[in-house]
Amino acid sequence: MSSAPLLAVADDPPVSLWRDAWGRLIRNRLAVAGLVMVLVLAFAAAFGPMLTPYDFLSQNLDARNAGPSLVHLFGTDDLGRDVFSRVLYGTRTAFVVAIVVTALAVTIGVTLGATAGFFGGLFDRIIMWFTDMTMSVPNLLLVVVINASLKAPLSQWMETQYLATLNPFFRETIWIDFLLVFGSMALIAWPPYARLVRAQVLSIRSRPYITAARALGLTNRIILTRYVVPNAIGPLIVSVSAGLGTAMVLESAFSFLGVGVNPPTPSWGNMISDGLRVWQHYPHLLAVPAIVLGLATVAFSFLGDGLNDALNPRGSK
Amino acid sequence: MLRYIVTRFALWVPSVLLVMLGVYALAFFGAGDPIKLIFLRAPGDVAYDPVRIEAIRESAGLTKPFIEQFTNYVVHLLSGNFGNSLSSGRSVWAMVSAAAPVSFSLGLCAIVLTAVVAIPLGLIAGLNQNTRLDYTILGSALFLWAIPPYVAGPLLMVGLLLLLPGMSVPYGWGGIFDVRIVLPLIVLSFQPIALIVRQTRAAVIEVLSEDFVRTARAKGVPETLVALKHILRPVLTPVVTQLGLIMITIVNGAIFVELVFGLPGLGRLTVKALTDSDYPVILAITLIGSFLVMLSNLLVDVLYPLLDPRAADSMKGR
Repeated sequence: MSSAPLLAVADDPPVSLWRDAWGRLIRNRLAVAGLVMVLVLAFAAAFGPMLTPYDFLSQNLDARNAGPSLVHLFGTDDLGRDVFSRVLYGTRTAFVVAIVVTALAVTIGVTLGATAGFFGGLFDRIIMWFTDMTMSVPNLLLVVVINASLKAPLSQWMETQYLATLNPFFRETIWIDFLLVFGSMALIAWPPYARLVRAQVLSIRSRPYITAARALGLTNRIILTRYVVPNAIGPLIVSVSAGLGTAMVLESAFSFLGVGVNPPTPSWGNMISDGLRVWQHYPHLLAVPAIVLGLATVAFSFLGDGLNDALNPRGSK
Repeated sequence: MLRYIVTRFALWVPSVLLVMLGVYALAFFGAGDPIKLIFLRAPGDVAYDPVRIEAIRESAGLTKPFIEQFTNYVVHLLSGNFGNSLSSGRSVWAMVSAAAPVSFSLGLCAIVLTAVVAIPLGLIAGLNQNTRLDYTILGSALFLWAIPPYVAGPLLMVGLLLLLPGMSVPYGWGGIFDVRIVLPLIVLSFQPIALIVRQTRAAVIEVLSEDFVRTARAKGVPETLVALKHILRPVLTPVVTQLGLIMITIVNGAIFVELVFGLPGLGRLTVKALTDSDYPVILAITLIGSFLVMLSNLLVDVLYPLLDPRAADSMKGR
C-alpha cells in the first residue's frame, strides 16, 4: 500500500459509521437488487390488498382454475379466487409472521446471550448448554411436537374463556394459529441470536479500544453507547436480515405441513400445498406462490450478504 | 486425547437426557389424556366412563408422578420399547424400524452426494474468487438454497413428466440401487449442497490469505498441489464441523421429499402421525432425529482434533 491514499483518507472529513456502511451497501449491485425486492414486497404487504379489485376470499365459481390473463393476472384457483390477490395477502401473512417471530426470537436471544456473555461463569455455561441443545433438535420436528402438544389445550382454554365471558375474541381460532405459529417458531429461532450476541459481548469486552476508552476515563454509559453497541449491532442486523427470510420459508413449510396459518387466510405455504394437488393440470397454482417465495428468500439473502459486507468491512473480502 | 473424548461423552449423555426430558414434558403436559385419546377411537363409549378410565389409567401407571413416568419411559427406550401407536395400536418401535432404513439410506446417500459435489465446487469458486465462474457457482448455490424441497420436488416432477411417458415418472421406493431414488436424492441434496458450497468457498478465501499458502507459492509449488495439499486440508475442518447443521437440513428435507415422492420413510410417518395426533410416534421420531443430530455433533467434536492438529495441541495444554 502506498502512502498517498493513506494521507487522502486522513484528510477526509470524518464519516459516520452508518453513512459509511450505506455507501458500501449501495455500491453492491446484488445488495441493491435485494433491497429493492424487499421494499417491493414490503409495499405489497402493506398496501397490497388495496391494489387489486378482488377480495382474496371472494369466489367466482364461473372462472375456476383459469390461467393467467389480463382479468386475473396470475389466474384463479379451484374456487375461482384471484391468485394475484391471494399472493398479495400471503405477502402480508409472510411479513407479519417473519417480523413478529424475528422480534420475539431476537428479544429472547439477545437477553440470554448478553447476560450469559456479561456474567460468564456457571450461568454462561448453563445458558449455552441449553442453547446448544435447542439447536440440536431438528427444528421442524420440534415445531411439530409443540403444535401437537399445545394446540388442544390452547383451543380448550379459548373455548372456556369464551363460555365464561362470551367475548367473541375468544371464538377466533385464527388467534390460536398465529399464537402457535409465532410461539413455536420463536422457540426454535432464538439460539443463533443468543450465540451471536454472547460471542460479540465476549470479544468486544476485551478489545483494546474499550480498554483505551476506560483509560481515558469515559463513563460506562458512553462506552456502552459509543463503542459496545455500534460494534455489536452490525452482525446482529445481518443475522436479523437473514432471519427474516428464514422465518418466511419456515412459515410456508409449516403451512405446507398443515401446522401453520390455516385456510382461508392465504399464506404462500398453504397456496403451494394446495397447488401440489393439482400441479399436473394447473401448474400456475403451484408455480406462482413458489416463485414468489423463492424471490423473497433470494432477496433477503442478497440483502443480508450485502449488509454483512457493508457493516463488517474487515471481515469481508 | 482419550480424556478429551471421555469428557465430551460425559457431557453428551446429560444433553441427550435433557432433550428427552423437554420433549417428554411437552407431551406429558400438553398432549391430552392418552387413555381418552385411545378410547375415543375405539368402539363403545369407554371414553365417557370416568370410573373405567381412571381404572385403566391406574393400571397403565399414568397416575404416577411425572419424574417416575419419565424414568420408566427412558428405561423402556433403552430396551427398544417406544410404546404403542395411538391410532393403529402397533408397536412404535416396529413402525419406526420399518420406516427408518428408507430414510437412513436416503440421508446417507444425500450426505455422500453433497460431499462429492459441493466441496469441489466450493474449492473451484473460492480459487477463482470474483470471476464469472465464481459468480455462476455462488449464484446457483444461492438459487438452490432459496428453493424449498417441497417446491423443487414437484417442479422437477412436472419437468420429467414433459420428457417421459407418465407411467415412468419415478415415484415410490425400491432401495438405493433403484432408479427411482435419483430424483428424491437430488432434491434432498439441493440445500445441503448450497450450504457446503458457500461454506467451502468462504473457507478457501480465508485460507488463501494465510502465510503458508504464500510460502508454498513462493517456493514454486505447482498451483494444483497448493490447492489440494495446502488449501483443501484446512478448508475441510470448518466444513466438517457443519455436519450437525447438514443433518438438520436433511432431516427437515426428508419430511417433504418423502411426502412428495411417496417414500415410506420416517418423514412420511411424521406427517401421518401429526394428522392423527399420534403422540407416541411423534415423540419417538423427534427423539431419533435429535439423537442423530447430537450424535453427529459428538462425532464432530471427537474428529476435530484429528483434522486440525493445532486444536489437538491446545487441548493437551488444557
